[in-house]
Amino acid sequence: MIYLDNAATTALSPEVREAIEPFLGGSFGNPSSRHPLGLEAARAVEVAREQIAGALGAADPECVVFTSGGTEANNLAVLGASRTRKRHGRHVLFGPTEHPSVRASVQALAEGGYETESLKLVSGGALDLDAAQAALREDTVLVAQMAVNNEFGSRYPIEELTTLVRGHAPHAHVHVDLVQALGKVPFSYLDLDADSVSLSAHKVHGLKGAGALVLKRATRVAPLVFGGGQERDVRPGTENVVGIVALGAAIANAARSVSSTREHLSRLRAVLAETLARLGDSELLVPDGGGRNGHSPAIAALRLPGPPADVWMHHLEEKGVYTSVGSACHARSKSVSPGLLALGLDDQSARQVLRLSFACTTNEEQVRAAGAALLEVATQLRIDTA
Amino acid sequence: MNDVKTPEVVLARYGELWLKGRNRIEFERCLARNTRRALKQVAPEAAVEREHGILVIRAGEQTREATQRLLDVFGFSSLSAARGCDHAFESIARTGAEEMRATLARWPSRDPIPFRVETRRSDKRFPKTSVELDREIGDCVMVEFGERLKVNLTKPELTLGINIRPERVYVYSERLRGAGGLPVGSVGRVVSLFSGGIDSPVATWMAMKRGLQVVFSSFHSYPYVGQGFIQKATKLARRVAHFQNSGVLYATPLTKIQEAIRDAAPPGYRTVLYRRAMQRIATRIANKEEARALVTGESVGQVASQTLENIHCIQDVSPLPVLRPLIAFDKAETIALAKQIGTFELSIQPEPDCCTVFQPKHPALRARTEVCDDVEAGLEMAEMEEEALAATETISL
Repeated sequence: MIYLDNAATTALSPEVREAIEPFLGGSFGNPSSRHPLGLEAARAVEVAREQIAGALGAADPECVVFTSGGTEANNLAVLGASRTRKRHGRHVLFGPTEHPSVRASVQALAEGGYETESLKLVSGGALDLDAAQAALREDTVLVAQMAVNNEFGSRYPIEELTTLVRGHAPHAHVHVDLVQALGKVPFSYLDLDADSVSLSAHKVHGLKGAGALVLKRATRVAPLVFGGGQERDVRPGTENVVGIVALGAAIANAARSVSSTREHLSRLRAVLAETLARLGDSELLVPDGGGRNGHSPAIAALRLPGPPADVWMHHLEEKGVYTSVGSACHARSKSVSPGLLALGLDDQSARQVLRLSFACTTNEEQVRAAGAALLEVATQLRIDTA
Repeated sequence: MNDVKTPEVVLARYGELWLKGRNRIEFERCLARNTRRALKQVAPEAAVEREHGILVIRAGEQTREATQRLLDVFGFSSLSAARGCDHAFESIARTGAEEMRATLARWPSRDPIPFRVETRRSDKRFPKTSVELDREIGDCVMVEFGERLKVNLTKPELTLGINIRPERVYVYSERLRGAGGLPVGSVGRVVSLFSGGIDSPVATWMAMKRGLQVVFSSFHSYPYVGQGFIQKATKLARRVAHFQNSGVLYATPLTKIQEAIRDAAPPGYRTVLYRRAMQRIATRIANKEEARALVTGESVGQVASQTLENIHCIQDVSPLPVLRPLIAFDKAETIALAKQIGTFELSIQPEPDCCTVFQPKHPALRARTEVCDDVEAGLEMAEMEEEALAATETISL
């Protein structure tokens, strides 16, 4: 099996597996318990908090809020920050290619009477900063913009956007979805200057079911869940100790190796591009989002000729190459991804986009084999190859 | 309240079986067998007994769960969770009061509830007539619960039922409508051409309702569509198989046959030719399973391929009768039934069953058998169908 769907999820890394081992066995305490077993669990949770703060560079460990994953972190940021700031206004801006967890939360705000507005892309796929500046208002309370898109890898200019927000929307909370950025694209947490960022463990070789929202110091968000006071009342509920330990270890690893990973991923994408050159009427979409360092090399979005991309996907899967169409989170729905439409693709072209996504566990040989499989499928589907 | 006992038996009545004369015993046995199977999970300890024209199911603590489960078993006209007692008048009055107390505790109305007692004497040796017992038990109930009730013999909202049987007396206040139909398996066995759509699950359910044991047959075009399709078909089949307690699904790859037909046939004929191949394969599955007919979800005129000519063209390839329970249904009627059975939500999950690569832009509306025969003569249909059968996956439901 050649697994090229790492933007959907990744394999658990051996280091992370080792880190969680004790917590699958004897160390099963509740971090809220006051006996040694509980204190041991509490300490493990604190270590993870420090690992995450450290990985981001300059975050305060006390401002790390553990969640059930990226989706909950995004929900908490969008809903929680807007509700906290409602006395300043009800105007909300969100990125044109956001993950469904952000889009759906924004939709929920709209249903609750908020005025919501999408940011725009200029042709070519860069975030339209002029339009963003024009859209910012005194009563804007939230700007949610992802750093790296999950379907085609654009890196957006968060640093410039945040500067604009600070100048034109003094009450706005800036939320940045870092789920696809962390470990793939270098960034400075201080330069991002976000009020909150969301992270997910299983995209960087951790476990599913754990993520975090990291808040800027003294930033408040209203909780979505109520209970026993854990996570400073922002996200109560007995901590998912195993998931949190895995999250800490995975994020620390990802951040540590970002430069080498990036180089490795770029090489893989170049190998794939070579194959693609032999396939007529196909295109590797590398939309420059306008952000620093251009594009995430972890994601290769291919627009392929002929039938819809899911036909390609299943033929590749028959040959042991696992890819995806759109993003896995909504790959089962029939509708076309709003992100691809925002990029300027028409309905039909958007259905022809296949996503191959790499991780540090992917090697060149696999990508070459995947390229060869792609050409075989082209023959099967009677598409001309050079 | 704590000492109020819960009902301990289910009275399961069957209507249509009476019409079956000397076959009745067979039908009753089949129904009892199906009932035991249905209760395997919710009430594994339940005892199922035939008692003069009804089934009595002793399910103890699980009586309510058992009653719910039996609503999905074909062959029952109505079901009641009931309390049993001996034939003494005092016992009947006391048990009736218990039942009323439990029922009224859950009844939201503050206004007096139109009420009556309805006695049935299966044991004619019982000293009082039904009418006498109605009146006397009614009086007892009114003494205790008179504030919440008013007697209404013609339009009661709450009826306290008393069934005097030779072995025991049963008291109940709820009579739930059963699924009707005939016990599954009592009429024979069929193969249903089962897709992931809205229609075929409903058609299959209707076949079961008339006492047919159904074997499921699905076709897929992997890798033009994903394996998710087989999962979806399995999930749907499992939902429908619930009504016959179990079942088996044959998942057959049609891909090579579709590719060959796409390449050889006039585009408009593709759909009819695919369906002919499915019909032939399903017929072979039927022979293997000793099934005597095929079932499809076809409704005449519903889609372009379901014209009389096309239906004829497809039917032509199988010697077996093809049952089409939905033939005269409007789509809206089918959808309403699908919702009732609980298949609709699963059916509309997006998971394509046939790739657009294979679909013609304009399917032929009046396909001719000779044309189909000609195209098939040029292809190695029998070999390809044999291969498809060999590659068929059998999934137990």
